[in-house]
Order: sequence, then C-alpha cells, then structure tokens
Amino acid sequence: MTPPALHDARFWLLLASGLCLAVALLVPTIGLRRPSFNIIAVIDITGSMNTRDQAIGGKPASRLDFVKQTLRQALAMLPCQSHVAVALFTERRSFLLSEPVEICENFAAIDGTLARLDWRMAWEGDSYIASGLSHALTLADSLDADLLFLTDGQEAPPPPENWEERFEPGSGRSKGLIAGVGGYVPSPIPKFDPTGREVGFYNVDDVPHETRVGGPPKDAESREGWHPRNAPYGAAARQGNEHLSSVREDHLKVLGSKTGLAYAHLESAEGLAEALMTAAVPRPVRVLRDISALPAALALALLIAAYLPGPPALAARLRSLASLTSRKGIKT
Amino acid sequence: MTLAFDTPALLWLLPLAALPILASLLATSAYPSLAATPDDAFSTVTGWTLRLAGILAIAALIVGLAGPHSREQSVLRTGRGAHIALLIDRSSSMDNTFAGKQPSGADESKASAARRILASFVKKRPHDEIGVALFSTSPILALPLTLQRDAIEAAVNAIGRPGLAYTNIGLGLAMALSLFEDRDDDAPRTVLVVSDGAALIDRRVQQSLRTSFRQYRLHLYWLFLRTTGSPGIFPRPGEAGENSPQAMPERHLHKFFSELGIPYRVFEAENADAVEEAIAEIGRLEASPIRYEERVPRRDFRPAAFGAAAGAVLLLLLAKLSETRLAGRRP
Repeated sequence: MTPPALHDARFWLLLASGLCLAVALLVPTIGLRRPSFNIIAVIDITGSMNTRDQAIGGKPASRLDFVKQTLRQALAMLPCQSHVAVALFTERRSFLLSEPVEICENFAAIDGTLARLDWRMAWEGDSYIASGLSHALTLADSLDADLLFLTDGQEAPPPPENWEERFEPGSGRSKGLIAGVGGYVPSPIPKFDPTGREVGFYNVDDVPHETRVGGPPKDAESREGWHPRNAPYGAAARQGNEHLSSVREDHLKVLGSKTGLAYAHLESAEGLAEALMTAAVPRPVRVLRDISALPAALALALLIAAYLPGPPALAARLRSLASLTSRKGIKT
Repeated sequence: MTLAFDTPALLWLLPLAALPILASLLATSAYPSLAATPDDAFSTVTGWTLRLAGILAIAALIVGLAGPHSREQSVLRTGRGAHIALLIDRSSSMDNTFAGKQPSGADESKASAARRILASFVKKRPHDEIGVALFSTSPILALPLTLQRDAIEAAVNAIGRPGLAYTNIGLGLAMALSLFEDRDDDAPRTVLVVSDGAALIDRRVQQSLRTSFRQYRLHLYWLFLRTTGSPGIFPRPGEAGENSPQAMPERHLHKFFSELGIPYRVFEAENADAVEEAIAEIGRLEASPIRYEERVPRRDFRPAAFGAAAGAVLLLLLAKLSETRLAGRRP
C-alpha cells in the first residue's frame, strides 16, 4: 500500500523544497568568468606637472596632486583580481616602482605609494614625452600589462619639427590610454630652488622655446640674421610660450594614434576608470560565485507554498479558527 | 565575534516563520468532535515538534538567504621581527656584476643578486612591516611601510630592472627615515641600506640626518656591495691614495654612520654568497618581540543555516510519509 502522502500535493512541495536545499548545500559555488585588468600606471612627475590649474574640492591644486587623487579613486573602481603596477616618468624613460600586484588585497599599499608621489623624485628635469611613451610601452610589454600614461604632454625642450619621422612607437602589443592632464588655458609653471622651496614662476627667458636638435626648421632662412654656418637657426633666440603650460592635446592625440593608444582628457575618477576599462584589454579570470541563494530561495518558496492551505482547506481552516475563538479544546 | 548580514533587509521575511503555527502540513480529517478524546501527551509533543521543525526550516532559510557571517577582523598578536625600511641603491652601476662587468651567462648583476636575496629575506619575515625607498640622483619612495606581502615582494622585484643615474645616498637616507614618520608604535625600527657605493653627503643634510636618526631610535645596517678593485670601507695594508671624503666616500660614510651614536653594523660583501650571509645575520639580529596584526578571515554561516533547514525539512518529510488516514474517511 502506498502512503497516502503520495496523493497530497503538499508532500511533493515539501520534497521539492528538500531537494532544492540539497542542491544549495552540495553545489554552493560555480566558476564564473569575469573581466579583470592588468595595468601599469606611468605618472609624469616633470616640472610642468606642478602647474596649479586643477581643483580638488574647490581649491586650486597642482596637476600632479590632481592625478594622485583621481588615480587613487579610479583604481579603487577596477574589479578585484586586476593587477596594477606604478611607474614614474621623467627625462626619456619610465621607472618602475613596483611590479603589478592584485589591487583589492594590496590596495592600502598601492594607495600609500601614490599618496607619497612627489615631483622631487624626478631624477632629471627634461621631459621627452614621445621617447618616454615608447619606453613605457616597452615596459608595459615586458610586464604583459596595458599602459595608462598620465601626462600634460608638454615636452621640455620642445620637440623638433620632424619628430614624427624619428618617433619609434615600440612593439605595440600593449593597449591602453593616454590621459591628458591640465587645463586648456596656458598657466605659469612654479619654479623651485635646489632645496625644493618654491621661488615664483618660470619666466619667458628661463626655458628653451625651440630645440636645437634635429636640424633647423624650414622657415629658418627667413629669420633675421640667418647664416647657414654661423646662425642656422637665426640670430635671435626664439621666443615662445613654453614657459606657460596647458594640456597639449594635439600632441598627445598624435602620439596616441601612432602607438595605438586611446586618448582622454583627465577630468574625474569615474571618467578615468571608464576610459581605462574601455581602452585596456580585459583579461577574463575565473571567480567562484556563491549561488546557493538561488536554490535556497526556491526551497523557501516551495516550503511556504506547502504550508499555505488550498482554497477548500483554507475555508476549513478559517472555520476551525472561528470555532477556536468561540470554543476551547479544539485539536487539529 | 560580531554577526553581520549581507542583505539584512531579507530578515523582514522572518514573520513567515509563524506559518506552521497557523497551518499544518498534515492531512486533516473531519471528526465530529475532539472534545471526547482524552489529552494525549505524545500527540501534543509530536504536534509541537512538527510545528517547531516547520518554524525552524522557514526561519533558517530566511536567515541563510540574508547571508550571515562574521566580519573579517584583525587580532593583535606578538611575534618576532622589526619594522624595516629597505633603502636600495638604484644607480646604474648596480646593473653591473661584482666584477664591475656587464652581466653575462651565470654572472648576475649586483641589482639582481640583491633582488633575489632580499625577496627571500622578505618571505622569511612574515610579521615585519616593510617599506622600500630607492635612491639614485633623487630619492624615490616605492612603498610605505606595510604588512601586505604581495606589495612588498612586487616592490622588491622591481629593483631588478635597469637603474638610473648617480648615487645620492644622503637624500635617500632622509627618504628612508621619513617612512617612520607618523608612526608612534614602539616596534623596533631598522634601516637596511643596500648600495654598491657611497657619495658625499651635503653638510646640511648630514646635520638633519643626525637629528632624525637619534629621534627615531633606529638600528642601521649597511650592506656594501663592493666591486672588485674598488676601495673598501676598511683600509688595506699598502693601499695608496688620498683619504678624503671625495676620494673615499665609502670610508667616510662608514665614519659618519659610526659616529651617529646608534646601533650600526656594516657588511662588506664581494659576492652573492657574502650578501646572503650578511642578510641572514641581520635577520638573526632583528628578532625583537613585536606586535603585529593577524587577519581573521570572514566566516560564512550560510551553509550552517541551510543545513539546519535541510534537517528540519527531512523531519517533516518523514512525518508526512508516516501519515495514515482515519479509516473510511476522506479529507
């Protein structure tokens, strides 16, 4: 004889609930593929990055401070399992401070490193951004990482006219982003004495406005006092606006197109994180996700359904509850 | 231990656990009157057990779905070690071998020997807070003091890459000391300088270093990677040459360190094995008791909650299967 329970829907609901619970207990996690990133952040710490044309919390801030602030926030938005390395750029090359580390487990350490970045760490005053960028790409390649190059694009001394012909973009396996830092209005660059104290701003006569590398420009012959041997660049030193600084977007965009990197103007941490995650190549990682909530939720729904009486039973139940209030000693 | 929930809002569903009091899973049979049946202790206990099992099953499922866990926390423990600032020479001469040549074949550069040996040193010292400062022409802070081992290893590994220009050890020392700024714990503090040369320290920098070294109560170790043929720290018999800070910066740096009035030791290493011995010796010396934080990871109680629910549902299923009907009656 079969147990009468087999003819009762509530038994089957209860059984289904129990099976769902068994699934929740036995298969708690599954492996999911999720994107992660491998980034080397190269930060320009040359003199023009001290220009105070940015704002943090409504107060004027230097470009470098703005980079530090936004980069720290943007890195926190990368998915866990992403790896980040930090490097500095001045002169012609990038200097690696740390190989890539996982961002979530080591965030405090990365954040501390970024917080302490300082222009005084620069080992040279020059800023050959094109060479620095191709060096950074080589470095990124060697780490199998994508590049985030944060710079204002101001080359010091300015590049020769024909720099594009001489530019070697590097192997180009790495993708990534050039983030242009700085305002569009030319601003004065703070000047520091050898002990690191600020002593005013750079004057028009303090900086070279033209390079003497790579041959004289095409218009040199028309300059005053030009002589093919004695004064191939003209007699007078060239005057320009190199003592003022604004973000050199045109230059950076050309560099971007030559190296296959995307370009974005640095405005906010959200914008930086989004542009970076679009430009960099996502690397899928397997993460274990706890999925026991799904079968458990189903088990709960089935269990409650088993307890909820059907319409005839509900009517009977209500009747008996009504009688329970009028009479005592009812058993169910 | 504190209990926390991932989605505490789900706990609002808990009143559903009262359902088994209001309804029964078991088949009801019409019976004229129960007034005639005597009170039966076994029936009462069974009835309430099954109600309780129902309450438990529903409640445990709701609690489990809310994600109960104990938060990750850190516990203060005592171990042996020190807080160590590594100050590493990143001048381009570190890219050469101990013989002063370009590395080739089995010969490794001073930088990569230092990297390899420091990496294994760091691995052996799990309780040390370690920071990394670099110097060449300018001082560079690579990593503030931290316990995060991956970050320390990554910073140490990066010193195997090509170096920069010159050796400005004075500003490097100031940078290494700055790692201890704003740290008022009483853990022993150590600066380990790894360099293959020295340089003149500016007189003003010397003065401020003297003050800071005393203020921070540091232990100082200098691991000097001596290139064959270069003047060492200690005078050798029959050695000619002018004994001035310009001509023999290493000897004069050693003099400066010795006169600081702090515990100081110098190791002169002329090959990778000597470096390893020196590092092992420093490891033995720097084993004072220190307090460190150990992370107690988050613990999930969800499986326990679902397990309890499963047990209760199993009991209800057994009860349901043992159900019989009163003869000749239909519900």
